[in-house]
Amino acid sequence: MGAISARGLSKTFSAKVKPEGLAASLRSLVKPERRLVEAVRGVSFEVERGEAVAFLGPNGAGKSTTIKMLTGILHPSGGRAEVLGLDPSRRRVELARSIGAVFGQKSQLWFHLPPSDSFRLLGAVYELDRRAFEARRDELAERFGIRDYLDVPVRKLSLGERIRCEIAASLLHSPAALFLDEPTIGLDVVAKREVRALLEELRADEGTTIFLTSHDIGDIEKVCKRAIVIHHGAVVVDESMKDLKHRSLAKKLVGVKYARPTAIELPGLEPVKRTADAARFEVDTRAHRIEELLRALVELGEVEDLTVEDESLESVIAAIYEDGAGRKE
Amino acid sequence: MSSAAALKARKYLVAASASARARAAYRGDFLGSVIAYCLFVFVFSRVWRSAYAARPSIAGYDYAMSLWYFVVAEIPYFGSSGHFRELAGDIKSGQVAYLVARPYGFVGYRFAQAAGSSLVAVLPILGAGAALGGLVAGPPPLGSAAQAALLAASLALALALQILLQLALALTAFWVEENSAFLWIYQKLALVAGTLLPLEFLPETASRIARWTPFPALAYAPARILVAFAPGPSLRLLGAQAAWCAAAWILCLALYGRGRRRLVSQGG
Amino acid sequence: MDLSIRGRARAYATFLGASFSANLKSVLEYRANFLLQVFGMMLNNAAFALFWGILIDRTGGIGGYSFEDVMVVWALVSTAFGLAHVVAGNVRSLGDIAVRGELDVYLLQPKDAFVNVLCSRTVVSAWGDFLYGYLVLCLLPGLSAGRLLLFSLLAAEGALVFAAAFAAAECLAFFLGNSRSLSEALHEFLLSFSLYPEKVFDPGMRWAFYTILPSGFIAFVPLAAFKAMDWGLVPILFLVAAAYMAASYALFRAGLRRYESGNQMGTRL
Repeated sequence: MGAISARGLSKTFSAKVKPEGLAASLRSLVKPERRLVEAVRGVSFEVERGEAVAFLGPNGAGKSTTIKMLTGILHPSGGRAEVLGLDPSRRRVELARSIGAVFGQKSQLWFHLPPSDSFRLLGAVYELDRRAFEARRDELAERFGIRDYLDVPVRKLSLGERIRCEIAASLLHSPAALFLDEPTIGLDVVAKREVRALLEELRADEGTTIFLTSHDIGDIEKVCKRAIVIHHGAVVVDESMKDLKHRSLAKKLVGVKYARPTAIELPGLEPVKRTADAARFEVDTRAHRIEELLRALVELGEVEDLTVEDESLESVIAAIYEDGAGRKE
Repeated sequence: MSSAAALKARKYLVAASASARARAAYRGDFLGSVIAYCLFVFVFSRVWRSAYAARPSIAGYDYAMSLWYFVVAEIPYFGSSGHFRELAGDIKSGQVAYLVARPYGFVGYRFAQAAGSSLVAVLPILGAGAALGGLVAGPPPLGSAAQAALLAASLALALALQILLQLALALTAFWVEENSAFLWIYQKLALVAGTLLPLEFLPETASRIARWTPFPALAYAPARILVAFAPGPSLRLLGAQAAWCAAAWILCLALYGRGRRRLVSQGG
Repeated sequence: MDLSIRGRARAYATFLGASFSANLKSVLEYRANFLLQVFGMMLNNAAFALFWGILIDRTGGIGGYSFEDVMVVWALVSTAFGLAHVVAGNVRSLGDIAVRGELDVYLLQPKDAFVNVLCSRTVVSAWGDFLYGYLVLCLLPGLSAGRLLLFSLLAAEGALVFAAAFAAAECLAFFLGNSRSLSEALHEFLLSFSLYPEKVFDPGMRWAFYTILPSGFIAFVPLAAFKAMDWGLVPILFLVAAAYMAASYALFRAGLRRYESGNQMGTRL
């Protein structure tokens, strides 16, 4: 059964144009000049229950606007959204009972209070009865390893501890779908790994649908099975992480260093970087056979070091972004 | 002036003009204080009208005098908000550790910054006060160029003293975390001692005590110079203001010196 | 889930209770600061009491107010103002919250956004205002259980009108974008006019006290009711307060529709 569905979802803002100069400012008071901005134009996708999907795109691509439409904060100007069988813009309050949201930048924990107090308040907000609430809180505290911080004011927690509490807080009411907007922003390596493991565990154990935006490729690789990339308000890629990774296998990065200065010349392949004794190649494996290339390099001189790497997922996605930019109009 | 001294003085002028321009950029910001000031003056004009309905004079002040007194007495207060919070905030956040290391006189530099921003904030208030006062109490009792000059000097000194006392109070943040209490007590005492009411309205003893405090130098002096100008007493008021400014400056230097030593020895 | 009116009411009561207790705890996290702010606010109010004392001593009364009248008005207004900010601490930050896009957090929770956002903060210094009124009441002659009860009812009614009017002024942000100065001016006007005798103001502007700047229902009528111990005015005043609340709520809903459309709010894409 579908958890999240967007069909031709679009959003057009009308923004006031701020004029330069006093006279123009005065004129705009009477007759403001408006400009239409299409933030999201006809986005369609389906997410199944229990799926973990990464929602990607460069800054300003329309990610936040889309998430806001899916959670009912913004009303779409065209198309339809359905989350857990409900139309978010018509039944936001009802939907709110069965979804959770973690916006890395906006906390739902009270800064000066220990998380346990915020949890209690959220228990009242979601109308959990006391016993169920306490059982759920203890379970989450156990799973997220936050038992020791529950009674420490949030302002004294590290960012990693805070985010764990933040995610736990959004799960108190056992939502069927969880929206996360940049959940690991600003976290150190270890804290990031912990958060990712928790999300993965959550999906496996509770079957929670996870819809995640991030600029951190690690989040996406570790947590999600599928990626939807939008650019300029439209979906440009919607495929499994596996397929996305396959794209990265299509390009190899080959680096070579010789013991002494060598004329590094290969027929039909220009290095992207070259010094007197070293060079770096980007090799499209569909056009060149990698083993032939390596053999050719070894024959050129005495090799001191040779590296072969897959293109990183990060550059694959960067290429999609750039490509999408070209496809804009 | 030698060129070295000129260079030295220049940085304070630059600081003042930079903070003046920063303040001017936030137009909405002081629109709020101008509105609050006008509201206050308007409400008091109604209170005074009602108070004077049955009598021509209270404690030697007639309606126009009382009103013009109020118009002037409020200006330094409304024109100098925020300097305490800025410096106290810098000290509490530890920001001050980066500021003390710079090659300038700290007190002088902060004063220049505050003065620059206050100067910008006070001009629209001055304009609004003159207009509103004229509207509700008739033309201001300005008789001569000498009086106008003394009034301007007195207002400048009142503003300077406001800033210096706020800085001095803010410097206590080196020792006391929650030092806003000092600001409140100071503000309320100032309110009663000459800002809301002329000193002459206070009971005899209270009025006599108040004259020995710095509070009259904050509001009473310029207001009195406008509504009851007399060369001798007016100059004396101005002299007292200058003396209090000097005292407050010395107090700031002393507090800063000790606070800085504390900062160095305890690392903030 | 219980969807009956009673069930809903109980759920909201639990929610408001939890919200209030979180507010209180958050204040007590900073005990020293709390006491200081309370003390500071009382001091502020006392400075004005001194001013009125001196002025009325000189004139025998201003605008029909005796010194005791002034004290009762200050007590009522101060407690009402304090109560509004103690319970609904965001009542003067609603506009900023909307402009910064922070309403999202409240919209994602299954509770009425208006109530939720207003009650999710308390203002520390407001506790000082709240207590000041009772302090004054205790110092005035003739303290009795009846006076205490009537005072509390009138202050509660005033708090509702304050909250409704403040929130309505804040809602301008939905329509005008950054309306900080205007909203703040409206707040100041309402508070200031409430603290001075109605009669000192020109007859031509008094209509405002019973419409857009409802000082009449915060200070002037409650003062009359309190002086005459007129309990009959209480239900009428509460009806008026409810009407102000309803109007304010309607304005918020209209603003929210603009928020949901994403326009006018500084368009953060």
